[in-house]
Amino acid sequence: MNLNPLDLLFLIAALNLLAMLIVGSWRGAGILATVLYGAQLLALSEISAPTTASFGFSGFGFTLGWQFDALAWLFAVITVASALVASWYGSGEWLRRFAGNRRLLLSALAANVLAMLMLLGSGDLLTLFVGWEATSWAGFLLMALAGGVAREAALKYLVYAIAGAMALLAALVLLFKAGGSFDFSSAAASLDGMGDAPMWGLILLFLVAFGAKLALLPLHLWQAPAYSETPAPGAVFLGAIVGRMGLFALAVVLVKLIGIADLQALAIPFSFLSAQDLIAWIAALTIILPTYTALKQNDARYLLAWHGIGQGGYMLLGLVLGSALGTAGGLLHMINYAATQATLLMAVFAVQHRIGHTDLNRLGGLVARMPLSFLALLMGIISLAGLPPMSGFVSKWMVYTALLQDGRPLLFLASVIGTLGTILSVYKLIHNMFLGQLRVEHERIDEAPLSMLIPMLACATLAFITGAAPGLVLGWVAAAQGALGLPVLVYTLGGVESPQASLDMLWVVGVLFAGFGVGAILFYGFGGKTQRINQLDNYAGGHFLTTEMRYHYSDNFYAGLMHLIGGWYRGSFHWLESAISSGVRLVATAAGGWYRAVSPGFYLLAGTTLLLAWVLL
Amino acid sequence: MNALALPVVLPLLAAFLVRPVGLVSGRLASAFGPLVLLLCAGLLVNIAVLVQGQPVSANIGAFAPPLGIVFYADSIALLFAIVVPVFALLLWPREAMQAGGDRISALMLLLVGAGTGMALSGDLFNLYVFYELLAVASFGLVAASGTARAWAATVRYLLISGFGSVLALIGVALIYAQTGTLNLAQLSEFAPELLANPLGLAAFACLLVGFGVKAELFPVNAWVPEVYATAPKRVSALLAGVVSKLAILVVLRLILLVFDTPEARQLLLVLGLIGLVSGELAAWRARDLPRMLAFSSIGQLGLLFMAMSIPGVPGLVAALAVALHHLLMKPALFLLAERWHGGLENLAGAGRKAPLAAGLFTLFALSLLGVPPLPGFWAKLVLLLGLGEQDALLAQAAIAGVLLMAVVEAHYLFRLVGLLYARNEHDAPPHRMGDLAVASLLGVVLLASMPLLPALAEGLGWMAHQAADVTAYRAVILGSTTAGAAP
Repeated sequence: MNLNPLDLLFLIAALNLLAMLIVGSWRGAGILATVLYGAQLLALSEISAPTTASFGFSGFGFTLGWQFDALAWLFAVITVASALVASWYGSGEWLRRFAGNRRLLLSALAANVLAMLMLLGSGDLLTLFVGWEATSWAGFLLMALAGGVAREAALKYLVYAIAGAMALLAALVLLFKAGGSFDFSSAAASLDGMGDAPMWGLILLFLVAFGAKLALLPLHLWQAPAYSETPAPGAVFLGAIVGRMGLFALAVVLVKLIGIADLQALAIPFSFLSAQDLIAWIAALTIILPTYTALKQNDARYLLAWHGIGQGGYMLLGLVLGSALGTAGGLLHMINYAATQATLLMAVFAVQHRIGHTDLNRLGGLVARMPLSFLALLMGIISLAGLPPMSGFVSKWMVYTALLQDGRPLLFLASVIGTLGTILSVYKLIHNMFLGQLRVEHERIDEAPLSMLIPMLACATLAFITGAAPGLVLGWVAAAQGALGLPVLVYTLGGVESPQASLDMLWVVGVLFAGFGVGAILFYGFGGKTQRINQLDNYAGGHFLTTEMRYHYSDNFYAGLMHLIGGWYRGSFHWLESAISSGVRLVATAAGGWYRAVSPGFYLLAGTTLLLAWVLL
Repeated sequence: MNALALPVVLPLLAAFLVRPVGLVSGRLASAFGPLVLLLCAGLLVNIAVLVQGQPVSANIGAFAPPLGIVFYADSIALLFAIVVPVFALLLWPREAMQAGGDRISALMLLLVGAGTGMALSGDLFNLYVFYELLAVASFGLVAASGTARAWAATVRYLLISGFGSVLALIGVALIYAQTGTLNLAQLSEFAPELLANPLGLAAFACLLVGFGVKAELFPVNAWVPEVYATAPKRVSALLAGVVSKLAILVVLRLILLVFDTPEARQLLLVLGLIGLVSGELAAWRARDLPRMLAFSSIGQLGLLFMAMSIPGVPGLVAALAVALHHLLMKPALFLLAERWHGGLENLAGAGRKAPLAAGLFTLFALSLLGVPPLPGFWAKLVLLLGLGEQDALLAQAAIAGVLLMAVVEAHYLFRLVGLLYARNEHDAPPHRMGDLAVASLLGVVLLASMPLLPALAEGLGWMAHQAADVTAYRAVILGSTTAGAAP
């Protein structure tokens, strides 16, 4: 039997799942899983050209088949790498102290990776649906396994995910009716002759289907609790990549299948906007609103999860622009954000590992006890906020520039407002956790164990390196653009080079660090003195704080800002969600009432008499 | 092929012999029923092997159709005829037997005889007679637990069922008045001429509602939740799994042979859709597992009626797939509910004490929802694609209904799965080995059908082609008339 690298990839992923099901409760199982994720990464690196898996499945006249192109490969690399990092993070001390079901956790992670690889490799629409369902259910397992609050959150996720899957199924039925097959090619052919109304139906169905996973507004309410309540490795994996499967699928259907040009040509009736504008504005709102919701969170995990929703908006915004720079920015942001969010979540879960909670009102001053975690978090928030020299800056710059080049100042403004909210809230994050005075009960806290620090710092370093030399990954992005049939970005090692806008991060980073150097030379050259002071020597509100009287301002952070914008938080989406569920409850009560009716015979008799009268007269 | 009559006659005869045999030996009497069923199943399988998929017919007592009683066995009829004794064996209510003694045994045999007769009958009046016989047997079985609630539920069932029978009889009378025959093969000849009118539609509506009582069709299904909740779970499993399918088979024959009109199909679609929506929503609000399963069964059968509304072979394939899937699922789920009754919140943590049962429940829930690659998905997909082929607005509304109800279904099923695995102490008695064994067997069949799917799909398509071939039906039944009358 001749296995190509893709077969090998699926084989290892399946073996990993099997191994975790069998030996998952063994304390070294985490290390085994990490090694197997490494092996999957190796198999992936062997795939250089579009490859088709040599296995398949058929029934009822349909065939399921899998193949990888450059787009699938790009997402697969990030998926497996995220799994590797998450698994490594949770393979040592974390796993030994994990109180839940070890086998279940490790198997769920492996199942997620396998399901996502199957989704990414789907060779036709039906396989896409199968992969989509598999991903949704594997995600549900991972989210629900902690029980309690997590179970409730996962159930809510399930409702959104199944609603999305059913929307996808409806879209498939539409396409099958038009083309008579689930092939991408025949679907694309049948789309050419499709009228405006069914086209709108398709686009909206696809948006609901995949937007639910990407947590596009208004389908975003489930994500933060579901991601945050998952045990650490699961949360890292979910936060880094799982939601981005929605981005992948939207890229496949909106960009590859329907095409940006068709989206531009499709006008919203009675308006001057097109389908492309609609999606772009949904993305922009997804950037702004969840980001400002993140600002109000008092749990570090929730704060980051809400940012995850907002960052997905940047990716979709870039992608839907359709230009070489914009789509590259969107796809690159997926890569950069995975490294960034993984770093941030690992730092936050390291604090949870040592302290037992991530409540932003009950932390502070941890920089003295966990300096390396602090460093990782610092690098992470710089990247998340989109500031140089970290990688988040590059992709956001590309999206901004593409927006301006495309002549969309309002969308540009919207994304800048989003970035402002990000900067505000990541400052809250690092301040409330690591800065200020250390609490008495945290004086004996140790730095996170090495098994957690290594992947954390590795991810932070990756986010820095790909920031300084984006060309390292821009090649993958350009190949993915080619696979999507988009204009391909011209890139250099340092970034982008084009007549309209160029960016060379090697220079930016060089200048930045040179600036630091010059500053240091000036400072020390002119005899600047530094003085080491105790962390507890501090002032608050003009009062000197002693060791006995510790104070860390964290509760009601940004009180002044909230005084200004607090009235804008209306909870409209929560209202919408509960209104829908009340409506369903009402109808359900009515339905139940029919079956509890005391004398159904009477109604039946009346009904039949009417029926007969209608027919006979 | 007069051997066709044996699987119908034997259980009926045995039903009257149970009591005398019981006088001779109690042990023999308790083994008597299962043995007869085993014999019937063996006979039917033997017939299926002999005919090799070719449809055959049998005239009882050598009275040629359209005068005599005619049995018709194509592959669908044989499949369901085999299902009846096999499932009756699997779901043989041993526990109720101890309380009810020989009576339960006799009722079960009566049920099987009548059920097999329904599957094989080629004549509307016989169908009606067997249907009534089946109803009588099911009343007795439902009331077997003897509690006050069971009696109340049975009386309700009796009322609705009686109402349905009257309607079915009216339908039969209307048809006879219009055409002068009740032989399905002859009716299929006359139907385009004589029954494609409002009167024909009224007759179909009456028959549909009448037979629909057992098939949990929307306006006549108010008996379902109470009966399934109070009856012995094995009886509920039999009613929801097997008996409902027999009624469906009758409706299927009617719509294929006699009432192949768009209006009739539309009626099926509307009633099915209402049944699906009301059933699933009521299940969402249900407070205990047996009622939840009962409501979900109403919903699933609504789905089945919708599948039957799709014209032609694709609709038949969809209906067969949904029906066979439900046939596997529901009995298994009711068996698991045997120990998991009472309020849903009392089930918190129950799955940790009974991992096999909880695992099976999760598997069935996933397949019921139609999660790929489980068989339930393929059944639902074929159904949706069939509905999608139609242009009517109603069909699109039906698709939307099916998809939305899947979301509701996912919520209530997995709310329960989550509860089963909650970290609570639970002190319910463990499942009986027999129940678990049967449920596991059905689960294994479900899983085993996944790799066999291509072959299965082909088989279903072939059966559907055969069943949809009206000319062949006529040729087999009426052709044998000429052969019989020639000398």
